[in-house]
Amino acid sequence: MSTPRYVVSMLCLIAFTCAALHAQSTPPDFSGVYYPINPFGAAALGRGAPPADAKGKQKGPPPRPTQSAPLSDGSQGRSPDAPSLTPAYMAKWEIIRKSRMAGSSEYDNTAKCLPPGMPAMMSMAYGMEVMQNKDKITFFSELNDALRRVYLDGRKPTQKILDDPTYAGYSTGHWEGDTLVVDTVALHEASFIEGFSPHSDAMTVKERIRFLSPGLLEDRIAVTDPKALTKPWETVKTYRRATSGNDELREFACAEGLGDAK
Amino acid sequence: MRVHFAIAVVLGAALITATPGLAHHSNVAFEVTKVVTITGVVKAFEWRNPHTWVILTVDDGKGGKVDWGIEGRAPGVLLRAGWTKNSLQTGEMITVDMSPAKDGSKTGLVARVTKADGTILPNAGPAQQ
Repeated sequence: MSTPRYVVSMLCLIAFTCAALHAQSTPPDFSGVYYPINPFGAAALGRGAPPADAKGKQKGPPPRPTQSAPLSDGSQGRSPDAPSLTPAYMAKWEIIRKSRMAGSSEYDNTAKCLPPGMPAMMSMAYGMEVMQNKDKITFFSELNDALRRVYLDGRKPTQKILDDPTYAGYSTGHWEGDTLVVDTVALHEASFIEGFSPHSDAMTVKERIRFLSPGLLEDRIAVTDPKALTKPWETVKTYRRATSGNDELREFACAEGLGDAK
Repeated sequence: MRVHFAIAVVLGAALITATPGLAHHSNVAFEVTKVVTITGVVKAFEWRNPHTWVILTVDDGKGGKVDWGIEGRAPGVLLRAGWTKNSLQTGEMITVDMSPAKDGSKTGLVARVTKADGTILPNAGPAQQ
């Protein structure tokens, strides 16, 4: 006895619907090693390749570098896209700025081998490794071997967690289609928003992370701090997945040279 | 015991003089938008985190020699820029483009290194765009 044609059609329809639903519910896999796009600013460093002519051919030696690193001591003033600080926190920033302009590392956590903290660590200047499974996604920064975990299993921060703030804070996330939405709380005051601006213990961070195209990952970061910020601060980081041969991060044993950091 | 102490003092003094300014600094310790060029002989190349170091013996212009301590980027960054742990050998002549320290000490921050054969060791690899 052959199966009636309409039954076959129905089965096909069910199978197709299930496959479609499954595809919709399977989140993208962000796992891999990534490097930020233009981490230091294009003009800041003497890169290896000489300039190319109109045909793309390289000519002559590379130009002599005019900088060794981006200017980051505050002597250039405050960037228009820097976090908008309240007067009390602007006064703190002025103290930090004076210290940095004098050449001191007093307010530079990474120079002291401390974690950069959230959201500064998402700059990932030296590269990032993402490790993902169904219940957790882990972001690792080569710079200062810093790490953060984002729980995806539905758990929420407890009072015990909220009472115990850290540099990376406590992150929970969920998928909205192909976008990972992450909330970070329990951040203590000892870090700096983007590495320079001070913040309070009321700071929280919301991120929307997604692939713009295969291998091109975007993190849209929104920082809220009712004590330190006059309005939420938003920034966007973009990372490219490493290609074969360039896909291993190196150990960053910061304390090797900590010695008499000053 | 006394002999051991004396040896420790001598060794300690030797270490201090061998590594001028070998403290770890933030970039803010240097005038990063200013680059000067010095040429000298590699006395030591320290491949370590969070910054590498080149100790360079340079003519002081008065018939003597002076050691400079020049801080470079971390091994992980330099590996991706084409360096290795053995990129610089003790005794070789190199030219260093560097930013001087704000405090006027004989230290600097590497912008790039050029070897005697013209090979350039940059601070970063090609842009990853």
